[in-house]
Amino acid sequence: MTLNMGPQHPSTHGVLRVVLKLDGETVIDLDCDVGYLHRGMEKIAENRMYTMIAPYWDRLDYIAAVSNGLVWVETVEQMMGLEVPRRAHYIRTILTELNRIASHLLWLGTHAMDIGAITVLLWAFREREEILKIFERQFGSRLTCHAWRVGGMPNDAYDGFVEDCKRFTDYFPKRLDEYETVLSENRIWLSRTVGIGVISGEDAVAIGLSGPALRGSGVAWDIRKARPYAAYAEMDFDVPLGENGDTYDRYLVRMEEMRQSRRIVKQALENLPDGPVNAKVPKLIKPPAGDYYHSIEAPKGELGCYLVSDGTQQPWRVRVRPPSFINLQALRQMSIGHLVADVVAIIGTLDIVLGEIDR
Amino acid sequence: MPLVPVPKPTFSQKLKRFFMVDLLKGMAVTLGFNVGALTDKDGVAGKGIYTEQYPKVRPDVAPRFHGAPRLNMDPETHETLCIACNLCALACPEDCIDVIPMDVEVVVAGKARRKKVLDEFIFDTSRCMFCALCQEACPTYCLELTQDFELATYSRAGFVWNREMLEQGRETVKYES
Amino acid sequence: MFAFAAPTFIDSLLLKFFSEQTVNYVIWPFIQIGLVVVITTGWVAYATYLERKISAFMQARLGPMRVGPWGLLQPIADGLKLLTKEDFIPENADRWIFFVAPYIAVVAAFIVMAVVPFGPDWAVITDVNIGVLFVLAVSSVGVLALILAGWSSNSKYALLGALRSSAQMVSYEVSMGLAIIGALMFARTLSLSGIVSAQASNSIWFVFYQPIGLVIFLISGIAENNRAPFDLPEAESELVAGFHTEYSGFRWSLFFMAEYAAMVVVTAVATTLYLGGWYFPLVYRFTEAKGFHHAYVVISLIVFLAKAGLLLYLYFWLRWTLPRFRYDQLMDLGWKWLLPAALINIVVTAIGITVIQGLHNPAGLRTIKSLSAGLGLTLTGTVIAIAIGVANLFITGGLLSLINWRARDFNLKKQRRQIRLVDLPKGKPAVVPVSPESAT
Repeated sequence: MTLNMGPQHPSTHGVLRVVLKLDGETVIDLDCDVGYLHRGMEKIAENRMYTMIAPYWDRLDYIAAVSNGLVWVETVEQMMGLEVPRRAHYIRTILTELNRIASHLLWLGTHAMDIGAITVLLWAFREREEILKIFERQFGSRLTCHAWRVGGMPNDAYDGFVEDCKRFTDYFPKRLDEYETVLSENRIWLSRTVGIGVISGEDAVAIGLSGPALRGSGVAWDIRKARPYAAYAEMDFDVPLGENGDTYDRYLVRMEEMRQSRRIVKQALENLPDGPVNAKVPKLIKPPAGDYYHSIEAPKGELGCYLVSDGTQQPWRVRVRPPSFINLQALRQMSIGHLVADVVAIIGTLDIVLGEIDR
Repeated sequence: MPLVPVPKPTFSQKLKRFFMVDLLKGMAVTLGFNVGALTDKDGVAGKGIYTEQYPKVRPDVAPRFHGAPRLNMDPETHETLCIACNLCALACPEDCIDVIPMDVEVVVAGKARRKKVLDEFIFDTSRCMFCALCQEACPTYCLELTQDFELATYSRAGFVWNREMLEQGRETVKYES
Repeated sequence: MFAFAAPTFIDSLLLKFFSEQTVNYVIWPFIQIGLVVVITTGWVAYATYLERKISAFMQARLGPMRVGPWGLLQPIADGLKLLTKEDFIPENADRWIFFVAPYIAVVAAFIVMAVVPFGPDWAVITDVNIGVLFVLAVSSVGVLALILAGWSSNSKYALLGALRSSAQMVSYEVSMGLAIIGALMFARTLSLSGIVSAQASNSIWFVFYQPIGLVIFLISGIAENNRAPFDLPEAESELVAGFHTEYSGFRWSLFFMAEYAAMVVVTAVATTLYLGGWYFPLVYRFTEAKGFHHAYVVISLIVFLAKAGLLLYLYFWLRWTLPRFRYDQLMDLGWKWLLPAALINIVVTAIGITVIQGLHNPAGLRTIKSLSAGLGLTLTGTVIAIAIGVANLFITGGLLSLINWRARDFNLKKQRRQIRLVDLPKGKPAVVPVSPESAT
């Protein structure tokens, strides 16, 4: 029997169409149909100036807009050889890690809701709301922030930034403990997630997975450690690794990543240097002709930006390496042999955002 | 893929499993929230209620919020600060802004000169993505994004604002509770 | 024969117009039925409101607040909305069955209220001798409504959802029925009022003799009602709402009401069987013994509603805390865990009662006090019975582990792994940070 989990579906986290071939209840084949959210961002970028492209980049992974902005401005800065001041690096790190916590909270809420624990969604959104308030006070927008400019930041940290972030880091571990009490040892949660959606480390590397999906299978790769950007070279944090590559391991990895992000924010707040937040940037931004690839560890995985410049004010070609699109390729391998109800859990554990997949 | 080998459960683990301790611990958290909703006042770090009852209670909007655009006027002379330099229109990624200048005759130091002033300013808020590039581009702090976010209108034409609407700002109908 | 003391002035008013037989057997029952239907419908409607409020408080939000003070008029607004919605029937649907299915569901849920003893005297509509059998039989009719609804919707997915829901309900009815038998052994009667009298005369709630019986009954009841954590058929599975996908407006609200009425039925029956029904210690001493008969009945009614309300809170609490089971895990739980547990419960309870009867020796150890209202036990007997109840828990636990020791889910908890935290070697920074001196 062929079953269509159509574009409008409460559990596919966006407009994703999954065509399942079922034998009774067991999935024997799976095909994804994407493109329902395609907005032509890479084409739009060919006709805009470099500073104008940054607001569009927020709309890629709209849940974690701050990291999208970061990959764009860092690519342009590195291509042009600009040196961003240290204070800007630190503030970028703090806000990008808060953004990671916000994205993981939304993942937790929606994943738990798909499996049935609806209350966790509301609690996760309450924490996320506090982070979005910090974003609103700093950048002016909650969701699609247009956070960074080429060369640094548009405004320095607002008065009360350090206090707000400290207050958040103070009470946040208690909330994580509450989520873990409700979910991590719950036998129903274990029955729904242990052994579901298993992918081995070799297969993960072969497909090109990145982010928590890769680390849940035991592969130790984190771009914040391997190729540090912003202020991560000076930060002290651990990287959680799973063992079995199933849904439960990825859940534990992401929960621990939230704790490590909090640790990074605390360190950066304590060591926040003074100074300017902007480098000297030429009036018209024209990177030298050539191509450049830069990637960061976005909450969903390795978010990369391949920029081909022809020396003019508008790029020749921009290509986004979307982590969710590449992670989605694993869906087929992970779902075959499981039941229909597990497909929903597996889509949740891959943490996909259609904005990034379809661009 | 084989799972990790399982150690045999101890007696206390068996007891906990039979008496559903893991489920009861989760239920204790929810009960704590239920009781806290009635007793705890702190919704942010405690177990109280977090809801802001929006139309009755005006929301707390940050000063830097990217909201509805406004053309500022000089507080003393009540003339517009806009000098029709067109920088905002050039900075906008979406081509929402249309600045229409006109030439007027002014007398400067006894000689008649032509000065460019603002005639009409069209801002299409339906295309705007509130990125604030225009606000950053404006050299005289004339174009500003305010804290107003209630921009709904009944027609598409209502989204296109002209100079008068931009200068006076919007009348928000306050909710009568 | 029953005798009830009705409010005398209404009685005397009616006796002016009708014969005594008519008043006692026709008019008063109709008044009782009317009261129970009104109270149950109101209780069901406000159960939806309570669910929204309680779930909201658990989620740190407020719930309905607009319609009326604190949102108290919300169920009325919902009812009005559903009444005014467009009523459409799918194109090739079987019209008459489509019409009839919701009504069957509602009727099956409401009829059970006729035998539930809300209070001691006139607060029960009728006391059928085989009350328990009646309850089980009538609530099974609700499954029929489910299947009819799924079939008549003429939609492949609604049919599949209906079949799965009905298979789930039927599986859990088996364990529900078997779990009741333990309590019946102590009550020695099938009539629900008799069961409550057995608990009242012996000043004990059967939950102390049969803790596992209550647990099995409640879990089976929750699964029977398709409520979380057992609500996969109506949550997400084939992406539709199960059997009531094609229903809208008033018909859908009938299914909704039937679900909540079934919840109320299960809580009421559980209260009657295990939590002592309307019995609460000391109430008799302060009211009936002093002659306040109607106060006794009314207070007992309130006690019953409070106990049923607590069980209803348990329903909401479980729904909003726990994730849901997958369908095969659900059926696994019903057939491999609850059914053996119920059977073991029957055997152990039977052995226990035999032991108690065997120990009863009028010359020495007295365990049985009387057999008029249930199994009346002396203090010694009660202590032995409670000890057997607690031992039953451990015996059941041990035997269930033995039965399921090969099941994958059983050992999952020990498969919980700790994730490793590694500090990876740092690479070279991509961008060389500006040194502090040149930053100023």
